[in-house]
Amino acid sequence: MASKDVDSVSPSSHEHRTPVRWYILVFIVPATLIYTTFAIYPIIESLRLSLYQAGDGGGMFVGIANYARLVGEPYWAEQFWNAFKNNVLLFAMHMLIQNPIALALAALLSIPTLKGAATYRTIFFLPTLLSVVVVGFIWQLILSPLWGITPAFMNWVGMGSFFQPWLGLESSALITVTLISIWQYVGIPLMLFYAALLNVPEETIEAARIDGLNGWWIFWKIKFPLILPTLGLVGILTYIGNFTASFDLIYSIQGGLAGPDYSTDVMGTFLFRTFFGFQAQLGDVYMGATVASALFFIILIGVGLYLFGVQRRLQRYDS
Amino acid sequence: MIMRERITSAGIHAILIAYSLLALFPLILIVINSFKTRKGIFNEPTALPLGKTFSSDGYASVLTNSDFPLYFGNSMVVTCVSLMLILLFGAMAAHALSEYEFPGDSFIGVYLILGIMVPIRLGTVALLELIVDLGLANTLTALILVYTAQGLPIAIFIFTEFLRSVSREIKDSARIDGLSEYRIFFEVVVPLVRPVIATVAVFSMIPIWNDLWFPLILSPGEETRTVTLGVQQFIGQYTVNWGAVLAALSVAILPVLVMYVIFSKQLIRGITAGAVKG
Amino acid sequence: MATLELKGIQKSFGDVNVIRDMSLDVNDGELIVFVGPSGCGKSTMLRMIAGLETVSQGRISIGGRRVDHLPPADRGIAMVFQSYALYPHKDVRGNLGFALKHAGVAQAEIDQRVNAASEILGLSEMMERKPRELSGGQRQRVAIGRAIVREPDVFLFDEPLSNLDAALRVHMRVEILKLHQRLGNTMVYVTHDQVEAMTLADRIVVFRDGLVEQVGTPLELYRNPVNTFVAGFIGSPAMNFLQADAKGSRIHLSQSEICTSHIGDGRVKLGLRPEHLMLEENGAIEGTVSVFEHLGGESFVHLTLPDQQTLVAKLDGELSFKPGDTCRLGIRPDHCHVFDMNNIRIAS
Repeated sequence: MASKDVDSVSPSSHEHRTPVRWYILVFIVPATLIYTTFAIYPIIESLRLSLYQAGDGGGMFVGIANYARLVGEPYWAEQFWNAFKNNVLLFAMHMLIQNPIALALAALLSIPTLKGAATYRTIFFLPTLLSVVVVGFIWQLILSPLWGITPAFMNWVGMGSFFQPWLGLESSALITVTLISIWQYVGIPLMLFYAALLNVPEETIEAARIDGLNGWWIFWKIKFPLILPTLGLVGILTYIGNFTASFDLIYSIQGGLAGPDYSTDVMGTFLFRTFFGFQAQLGDVYMGATVASALFFIILIGVGLYLFGVQRRLQRYDS
Repeated sequence: MIMRERITSAGIHAILIAYSLLALFPLILIVINSFKTRKGIFNEPTALPLGKTFSSDGYASVLTNSDFPLYFGNSMVVTCVSLMLILLFGAMAAHALSEYEFPGDSFIGVYLILGIMVPIRLGTVALLELIVDLGLANTLTALILVYTAQGLPIAIFIFTEFLRSVSREIKDSARIDGLSEYRIFFEVVVPLVRPVIATVAVFSMIPIWNDLWFPLILSPGEETRTVTLGVQQFIGQYTVNWGAVLAALSVAILPVLVMYVIFSKQLIRGITAGAVKG
Repeated sequence: MATLELKGIQKSFGDVNVIRDMSLDVNDGELIVFVGPSGCGKSTMLRMIAGLETVSQGRISIGGRRVDHLPPADRGIAMVFQSYALYPHKDVRGNLGFALKHAGVAQAEIDQRVNAASEILGLSEMMERKPRELSGGQRQRVAIGRAIVREPDVFLFDEPLSNLDAALRVHMRVEILKLHQRLGNTMVYVTHDQVEAMTLADRIVVFRDGLVEQVGTPLELYRNPVNTFVAGFIGSPAMNFLQADAKGSRIHLSQSEICTSHIGDGRVKLGLRPEHLMLEENGAIEGTVSVFEHLGGESFVHLTLPDQQTLVAKLDGELSFKPGDTCRLGIRPDHCHVFDMNNIRIAS
């Protein structure tokens, strides 16, 4: 900073030059070291590994050949595009189902005169806290024809004939898993929307009321535009979650093969199989790194779009 | 007019209650059935465990005939140690970032919170190699280190935001009182951040406790299994013993529920406060 | 009890010179006030005296001992902060005794000094309370008490009253003045509020852009401001500045002679304090009333002069004007301040 000025100070100031502030290092080094070693280094190393292939006694540099295989070679490309497509569907369904539900519930919760809002809030957020393994299994049991909870319930409401083992059917497995995921995670966007709605200044709403708007129009014309930045945040969180965290639920419910017949395969399960191998297929470190790195770039593009596009444009509504 | 308001209000409550039931029903179902006999589970799945259908055999077999207590202990150790490291190192780094000016401070500030946007899982391939090279495969230490690395960005972000909102003058005041920079951290800053510690703790704890990916990859061994991985494997083995499976699920939910009941206020306040900034 | 000497102090953050060159001798027991708009360097100067900022150049001595290389705790100072900076996890007693405890003072001595300070400030009733259970004024007292127990050579106050509401601010101002009379310590007090500066100070130092504009007693600054900045800063409502013509050492405003001054022919700035303007039938200043504000005991008349310059006068509360009325004002020649076009005072 001002080092030049400090050096040119009158001779008398030599006796009290600022000492090295070691404590800053002591404070900052432990976190930086652990984070660099176990978070950043592995990601960079994975990016590097994705440029290599197995060779004699070690890696052999092949440039972007692995990426070319991933999207070009039928064996890989089929799996990759299938997983990618399923992830995109997953993302789309979360955006179209989960986030509107979350927004609607948040809008109801933020009604100032509502009694028991705190209780509802606590309940709605509860499933988010549970392990995906537990959630997956609970729903597997509930939807299972063996236990019969769902068929019985559907009989009770007179729709018994529509029951099917949805998780086991290729046509409905992905949407069923999505709905389970929504059941679990709706609490996060809900809370974010709720917080944003509470943050809309009371005066703005009162001004709208004086201008003659009623509850519904106040929501659409005043509150909704003001919470658009949150919508952007929810969007990017949903995006990241879909491409990485979706592994847990699908692995728990459908296993590593993401059945039936890969109909629920996502990038996470694809990465897992590629890296560790599954049944006949052998694990491949380099292709695993390639899948992970492809995922890295997919996420990077999303985050980049968010930071430089969505967020910047939405910012003008802020404040 | 009043009548109409009442109807609207009743409608709103009906929707909210319906969703509450949807959120709670699966959990209640698991918990009540975990206290039933096999017959009770299948014949009357939605009834309360009373009289003949009551049985705690499921819990007995989980707690005695399985390694569940071990898994539980593993999860506790991993979660608690990671949490302590995240809180300590996170608060230290946040203090340095919010209090001092030093060369590269803004770069390090951004670098340390990058991890919020870039999931650490993407480095799994190299991470496993690293863990094996360090001789940490199948150890709880590996999980602790990885979870600490994973939890630090959000912890540093929350702590830094909070500390920046706290007046600098209190630290200056301590300096005038003659405290060293270390003692300022422990005696002034740590008590100051206490209100957000709960938020950071819950934020960090839940993903650690619930994680399946890293236990599966870094420490799948029998001795180092966590509850989440244990439940996942257990479910595969004991599909016939429904009582035990349901009891295992209930046991896995329990600590999270307890934490949630204690800290839900701070957690929700934390999310809402964070969201306002986000 | 000590003097405070600042000699050739300079401070820069990167390329920005916050303090350009400052020297000042503060006498033992003097209450000196640093005043100026925000960003003028007054707080930075105080923090350098405290040892919270390093000095880029120059020396600071307290009681004849050079201290600019010492850590804050060894300088014999105590500081009261704007946000009070109380330790939220300690009660009042703990806050008051914290510094002494840390310095290893014996418990009996701590108790005695803490009790004495709480006595002075009327805190005895609330010694076991935490800061969050106190009102703003009480917190401020604790912050001052914390400074007192350290028995410093020099007290430093960094805008201590600006977080209080108006009524409490007046009250605490008096308290601080009493405290100074009672303790007789050297005090340095930073504020941006000229009323606080006028009422508290033995001497005022007016800062602007890292430079000292003027040092003097409140009345010196009021009566003989060296330039338009000081003239405009001291006094409320602020001094009126009007463009006027000087011809043969006579100053004319719209053809009327107002006063005399030793200056050649040309343009000058004429400074007239609102409270020095009087209603006069044959007054030299004539204007049209644009706004009339009534405060009860007094009133403010906003005038537009024939040449479109505007002016505020503070007049008797018995008067009443309507917009559009014509109003004639006069002023005693010795109340006129004349500045050249570079804003520097011209001696009369």
